[in-house]
Amino acid sequence: MWKYTLRRILATLPTLLTVITVCYLMLHMTPGGPFDSERKVSAAVLANLQAKYHLDLPLWQQYLYYLNNLLHGDLGASFRYADWSVNDLVAKALPVSLLIGGLSMLIAVFSGVLLGIWAALRQNSWVDHALMVFCNIGGSVPSFVIGPLLVTVFALWLQWLPSGGWNEGQWRFVVLPVTLLAVINLSTVGRVMRGSLIEVLSSNFILAARAKGLPMSTIVLRHALRPALIPVISVLGPLAISSITAAVVTETWFSLPGLGKLIVNGASNRDYTLVLGLVVLVTFVAVLFNLLVDLAYALLDPKIRY
Amino acid sequence: MKIAALFIALVVSQAALTTQALAAQVPKGIELAAKQELVRSNGPEPETLDPALAESVGANQITRDLFEGLTATTTSGQMVPGVAASWKQTNPTTWVFTLRKDAKFSNGEPITAEDFVYGWRRYLDPKTASPYATTLAPFILNGMDVAESKKPLNELGVKALAKDQLEVKTPFPVAFLLDLLSNTQFAPIHKAVIDKFGKDWTKPGNMVGNGAYVMKDWRVNSAVVLEKNTHYWDAKSVVLNKVSYLAIEDSNADVKMFQSGETDYVERLPPGSFEQFKKSNPADIKNGAMLGLRFYAFNNKDPLLKDVRVRKALSMVIDRDTLASKVTADGQIPAYGVIVKGVNGADVTAYDWAAWPMEKRVDEAKKLLVAAGVKPGTKINFTYNTDQYHKKMAIFAASEWKTKLGLETEMENMEFKVLMKKRHDGEFQIARHGWVADYNDATTFLTLVQCDSDANDNKNCNRNAEDLINQGNQALDPAKRKALLTSAAKLVMEDYPMIPLLQYTLPRLVRSNVGGYFESNPMDRFRSKDLYLIKR
Repeated sequence: MWKYTLRRILATLPTLLTVITVCYLMLHMTPGGPFDSERKVSAAVLANLQAKYHLDLPLWQQYLYYLNNLLHGDLGASFRYADWSVNDLVAKALPVSLLIGGLSMLIAVFSGVLLGIWAALRQNSWVDHALMVFCNIGGSVPSFVIGPLLVTVFALWLQWLPSGGWNEGQWRFVVLPVTLLAVINLSTVGRVMRGSLIEVLSSNFILAARAKGLPMSTIVLRHALRPALIPVISVLGPLAISSITAAVVTETWFSLPGLGKLIVNGASNRDYTLVLGLVVLVTFVAVLFNLLVDLAYALLDPKIRY
Repeated sequence: MKIAALFIALVVSQAALTTQALAAQVPKGIELAAKQELVRSNGPEPETLDPALAESVGANQITRDLFEGLTATTTSGQMVPGVAASWKQTNPTTWVFTLRKDAKFSNGEPITAEDFVYGWRRYLDPKTASPYATTLAPFILNGMDVAESKKPLNELGVKALAKDQLEVKTPFPVAFLLDLLSNTQFAPIHKAVIDKFGKDWTKPGNMVGNGAYVMKDWRVNSAVVLEKNTHYWDAKSVVLNKVSYLAIEDSNADVKMFQSGETDYVERLPPGSFEQFKKSNPADIKNGAMLGLRFYAFNNKDPLLKDVRVRKALSMVIDRDTLASKVTADGQIPAYGVIVKGVNGADVTAYDWAAWPMEKRVDEAKKLLVAAGVKPGTKINFTYNTDQYHKKMAIFAASEWKTKLGLETEMENMEFKVLMKKRHDGEFQIARHGWVADYNDATTFLTLVQCDSDANDNKNCNRNAEDLINQGNQALDPAKRKALLTSAAKLVMEDYPMIPLLQYTLPRLVRSNVGGYFESNPMDRFRSKDLYLIKR
C-alpha cells in the first residue's frame, strides 16, 4: 500500500505540470490584461508595470520563471493585491476554507449517513418519503436561495447569529455558512447512502444473515454498512474538494475570506499568479482527496488490495 | 499690471484660506456615545494600502485615514489644511508650503519637507510602477517625464527649502493644486520604514503613517482595523477611537449586515433598491450627487459613427429623465454634457435640444439620419460589461433607438476586463463608460474628450476646444479660466463625441447616529476623523 501511495503521489507531478501549463496558456490567451481598467494606463506606465511583474519577457521565459519560483515554493507576487504575495493570500484564505468546508463535510457525512440508513431501513414509509423530500430540497434548491433564507430567519428575524463576516472564525460567524454547505452536501450523502444501503440489503449475503436469525442492527452495522459506504466514499472526494475550494456563493453571501472568492476575483482581475497558485492548490487537494478515497476503498472492501 | 493685480489677489485669498477651521467639530448639544467605534463597509478588498499604488475608491478611503497630505478634504467636501500650516504662491507656477511644527508620523518622529520629497518621488518613480502615476503626474513640474523615465527623480518639481518649507513647482498654473494635494499619493512617507521592510511596510506593526489613524490589523478579504493615532497633530479633534473597514463585495450581503446591526455603513445600495430603503430606513438613507459621469462612448472612427449627424441623433433621442426616474431609479441626475454639477473650474453645459419636447427631438433626429443616409433597420453594436445595472440601461437605450429611430441594436455583454481592452483598443461602436473625478476640477472630465488623451476612448479631437483648454490652463483669473473651460466643454460636445447620460449619486445607508456625514460631498471622501457616534 505504501508503494501504491508513493506511486500515486509521484504521478501527481505530470498532472500538476499539465494543469499549470494549460492554465498558464489559457490565462494569457484570455482577452484583457491585469492592468486594463476603466482608465487606460499610459504606454510608459504600462511598460513600468510589465517590467515589475516580468510580463515584458517572452511568454516562454515568463513560464520558466514561474516554474522556477514554484519549485522554490514561491507562488509569485499578486498582480492585483500589491502588498501581498500569492503565498500570503493562500495562507490566509486556506484556513478559512478548511474550517468551513471541513466542518460542513463532517456534519454532512455524519448526518447524511445516519439519515440514509434511517430512510433505507424504513423504505417507502412516511419517514423515508419525508427524509428524501428534505434531501431533494437541499440538493435541488440552489445555495443562493438557501443562504438568504438562513440569513433572513436566523440573523434578521430571530437575531441569533450575524448575517456575515468572519471575525477570526468566532463560532457565531461560522454557524450559518457551515449550515448552508452542510445542508447541500448532506442531501447528496443522504440520497447516495439510502440507495446504496437498499441495494446492499437486498444482496444474497444479507438474506443469508437474516436467515441465520441475526438481529437487524447487527446485520446493518457489521455486514451492510461497509459495502454500502463505498458509493458514499466515491462522492466524498468531489464534495470535499468543492466545499473547500469552490464555495464561491457561500463565501460571497457571507463575506468570508476564503479560497473560492479568491479564485473568482483572481480570474476576473487577470491576476495570473494568483489564479495559477490556486490552481496548483486545488489540483493538489483534488489529487490528495482522490488518493484518500482510493485508500478508503481498500479499508472498506476486502476484495480491493493495493 | 492687470495680471499682477490678479495674482496678488489670488495669493491673498489663498493665505486667508489657511485660517479657516481645520476639522469638523461636534455641534453643541450633541451627546456622544460612550463607545466610539465605527464599522464601515468598504466594497471589495483594497488592492493595496500603499498610498503611492492605491487606485480604487476603497483603498483611497482607508489611506486617507492612515496618511495626510499638505491639504485634506472634510466630510462636507471642503478643502482644509493638512500637514501644511500655511502656503503662498510666489509666482503662477511656484508654491511654498510651511509645515506644521506639531506634525508627526505615527511613531512620534517629526515630519519634514524631505519626507514629502521622498514620498512624491517614490510615487512617480518608474520602479514603483504606480498605475495611478500618470493621473496626477501632469500637474507637477517634470512629473510625466519622471514617471516615463525621461528625466531623473531629482528633477521632479518638489524641493525641501528647509525642514519645514516645501517648494512645489507646476508646469503651468494649476488652479486646483491645493485640492489635488489632498490626494494621499502626495503624502509624506517615512523612508526608513520602507528601507527596513520593503514591500511589507504596509503590514500591521510595520506601517508608519501620519493620518488620524494607525493600522491595528489587516485581515485580507475581511477587515482593516484602525485605531486613533495619538501622535496625529489634530488628535484632540478625532472622536472615533476605532474604525473597522469591512471588505464586503456583494451589496446584498452589505445591506443584510447593516440590517442585522453588524455595520454602521452600507457602501452602496444594491441597484434598484433606493426607493425601498428610502421608505424603510428614512433616517439612514443618504444619496448625495458625486463627481462622476455615466456615459456611452462613441467610436468616432467607426464608418457609421464618424458622421456627427448620426452621433447627434443617437444622443438626442435618449430620454434621460425617464432613465433617471424609472430605469435606474436611484436619484441620479440627467446629464447633457461632459461637465457635471458641483465640479469646480467650469459650468455645466447642456445641449439646446435638452429643453425640447421629445417629439421635436425625435423629428430632428430622424431628419439627421436621413441626411446622413442611415436607413431604418440599420444595425448598431452596443457593448457593456456584464452587470444588471448596465444591462437595464442598455436595454433602455436600445429600446429608444429602436422605437424612435427604427435602428436595431446588437447588445453584446462581456467581462469587465474584456470590455476595457476592446474599448481602449477602439474595437467597438458604442460602449458603456463611466468616470469618477480624481480631483475637483473640470479638467478631469475634459480628459475624456481631449485630443491624444489616454482617457479618451472616443478618439475624437477638436483642436479649437483644445486651444481653449490650453488657454484656460494658463489663465490666472479663475473667472476667465472657468469661462474658457466652459466654452471648451460646450464646443467639444457639439461634436457629439459621446452620449452623456447620468451624473452619479451615492445611494447608501449610514446609521442615523453617525454624526459628521454630509451628503454635500461630491468627491465622496469621508475621513473617519470628521465622523463621530451620537448617543442613542
